Amino acid sequence: MRSPALIVLVIDDEVQIRRFLRAGFELEAFTVQEAATGTEGIRAATLKPVDLVIVDLELPDMDGAEIVERLRSWSKVPIIVLSVRSSEEEKVRLLELGADDYVVKPFGMAELLARARAALRRQVPGQQGDPVVRAGPLTIDLAARTVSIDGRPIGLSPKEYRLLQVLAQHAGNVVTHLHLLREVWGNAHSDDAHYLRIFVRKLRQKIEKDPTQPRILTTELGVGYRLSVDGG
Amino acid sequence: MLAKAIHAPAAQWSRALELARSKWDAAQVAPIAVSLLIVAVVTVLLFVAGPLLDLDHAAFAYLIPVIIAATRWGVTPAIVSGLAGLAASAFFFYPPIYDIRVANPAHIADLILFVVVAVVTGQLANRVREHVKAARQREEETKALYFFSRRLAVASSPDDIHAAIQDHLSTTTGCRIVLFAAGAGQAHPETSPQWSRVPNTVQRAVLDIFDRGGEGREAPLIDRETGASWLIRILSQRKSIVGIKAIELGRVSQQSVDAIRQRVDTALVEAMATLERIDVAHAIGEARLRSEAETLREALIGSVSHELRTPLASILGSTSVLAQAPGVAQDARLSSLVDVIRSETERLNNDIQNLLDASRISSAGVQAHLAWAEPPDIANAALARLHRRLEEHHIDPRLAGDLPLVRVDAVLIEQALSQIIDNAAKYSPPGSTITIAARAVDATVEIAVSDEGPGLTADEQTRLFERFYRGPRHQVAVKGSGLGLWIAHAFIVASGGQLEAASEGVGRGTTLTVRLPAPPLAQADASENGDA
Repeated sequence: MRSPALIVLVIDDEVQIRRFLRAGFELEAFTVQEAATGTEGIRAATLKPVDLVIVDLELPDMDGAEIVERLRSWSKVPIIVLSVRSSEEEKVRLLELGADDYVVKPFGMAELLARARAALRRQVPGQQGDPVVRAGPLTIDLAARTVSIDGRPIGLSPKEYRLLQVLAQHAGNVVTHLHLLREVWGNAHSDDAHYLRIFVRKLRQKIEKDPTQPRILTTELGVGYRLSVDGG
Repeated sequence: MLAKAIHAPAAQWSRALELARSKWDAAQVAPIAVSLLIVAVVTVLLFVAGPLLDLDHAAFAYLIPVIIAATRWGVTPAIVSGLAGLAASAFFFYPPIYDIRVANPAHIADLILFVVVAVVTGQLANRVREHVKAARQREEETKALYFFSRRLAVASSPDDIHAAIQDHLSTTTGCRIVLFAAGAGQAHPETSPQWSRVPNTVQRAVLDIFDRGGEGREAPLIDRETGASWLIRILSQRKSIVGIKAIELGRVSQQSVDAIRQRVDTALVEAMATLERIDVAHAIGEARLRSEAETLREALIGSVSHELRTPLASILGSTSVLAQAPGVAQDARLSSLVDVIRSETERLNNDIQNLLDASRISSAGVQAHLAWAEPPDIANAALARLHRRLEEHHIDPRLAGDLPLVRVDAVLIEQALSQIIDNAAKYSPPGSTITIAARAVDATVEIAVSDEGPGLTADEQTRLFERFYRGPRHQVAVKGSGLGLWIAHAFIVASGGQLEAASEGVGRGTTLTVRLPAPPLAQADASENGDA
């Protein structure tokens, strides 16, 4: 981590959740700011720039979508949503509105930190020098448009590469089906989700050791796909 | 007006004569006898007083019995007393005395005048009597209708209404009424206890109406055997019949049939309006009750979901931080305690999730969002969710890479598959193998989860997917709520799939097979949307 310490803003009405998030983030050398309501959270983010926002989906004064929308109207700060199970549509909606990722309650700190780091990494491109994304044995050079596994280059069709490219641009974070369909096929085909499934299968056959047990290009059921940077 | 005025008395007199012929019974004899007695008394009085008063127009004294008879007992006794008075005047008072003949033309004129006056006064008196009678009857009818309305107003079920109609019509018409319930959900008229108490002609007519759904004729019938008239009325409501009434009128004329029919129909119209009101009120009441229950349940689910799971999220999150804290991570005993907290909290969370899922299934049903999904993705997500709980088992996933895509709610199927795999792990010994094998069969993909556990008895196999069912062999040894497979089954069915259980027998393992729809894909994609 760079210094000075990264600032994370936690917006959650549950004091116990804020407490463990504070402990967890402070163990990892983050500086933590807390907000109990959406209004308070947005004010805090406006007053002083923060590096990361963790926002609960259910707040007493505002719903998660509204906070994401309002933050996104002026800021590119990474946003991670704390969600509940059985609300895939809500998750997709928040991701479409500009949230970077989500974790489902109950969650472990390690999971949240992994999502947060991935979102932060994307926020500081060029920090590590060249625009190269690594995911386990897979290396994607976004500048040279080459893909290799364990140093051996592999050939991808233009659409396969485009798919991998979009995922690599969000490496470590989930990308919704709709987003991928729009980026790779254009708006016209955003309803034809099975193209996406077929191309993901083709791509996995080229980049995964066992395409039926993917470690790199993983699935978020009902939401989208993720390029797992810590997989392998 | 004039025609009617002339016609009405004529009809009354002819009816009176008809009645006099046909109903010459005790009720008629007494008034006539009394009328004749009055005539006799008048005769005696005239006989006594006559010489003193030198009565020339004795006949007019006989108007007194005529008027009394007409006002009291109606037309027949009035005619009888009129004729008797005429005869008595001619016989006793007009010369030749003690001879029915009358010599004096003035006396003949007298008698003619008497007859005319007697007829007119009798007529008038009778009309007054009829009016009084009608008024009294109207009053009674109004009273009866009032009571009928009162009963209808407090009626709360169709049975109440039928009983009210029955009582009202039998008191107002004095007829026997037989009700046959009919219509949706009602018994066939033949099963009615009253069925054998109506004649064949009526039975046939009722069946005819019933079979044709209320289309039959409602004209009055005459039963040939007894000669009694029967009225048959249909109780219908919004074009569906709810009952058939047969009303026995006895041997009566067409006029009284019409009069009774009118009365019956008035009552039925009112009753049907009430029946509709009850129906509507009932429906509104039920809808309100249902929506209140629904709101309550949703609020309860919502609050349980929030109130129970928020602390769990705090506990699990805190535990995860605690596990990484240097002081704990380096101490094996402490980290194993933290591990206990974590796994028990996860179990609690799973149980709460099961209860929420169960209540979601039984309250609103499950809404499936169908989309194309890769079968191995679903299986892998389930295995990833369960990886800690499967640590003691050997997992053997056999997922072919070329399976067709399935069209399901992947999230629901993953949850179902998690329940099934978790169940397999719970009931099979540590160290045994759980196989998850997927294969394509026709237009479906089958995912079979097989364990090396205790297998299923025949009873267990049939009852496995019942809510709260727990195999009696395992109730003590293995913890559980009996909800898991019921939820799995509901989720799979909601998603258009099937779940089947099979076992080679007790002690020989169990295989649960999830069958998911894999409809063929449109062929257009390769050229149009492929890599061009």
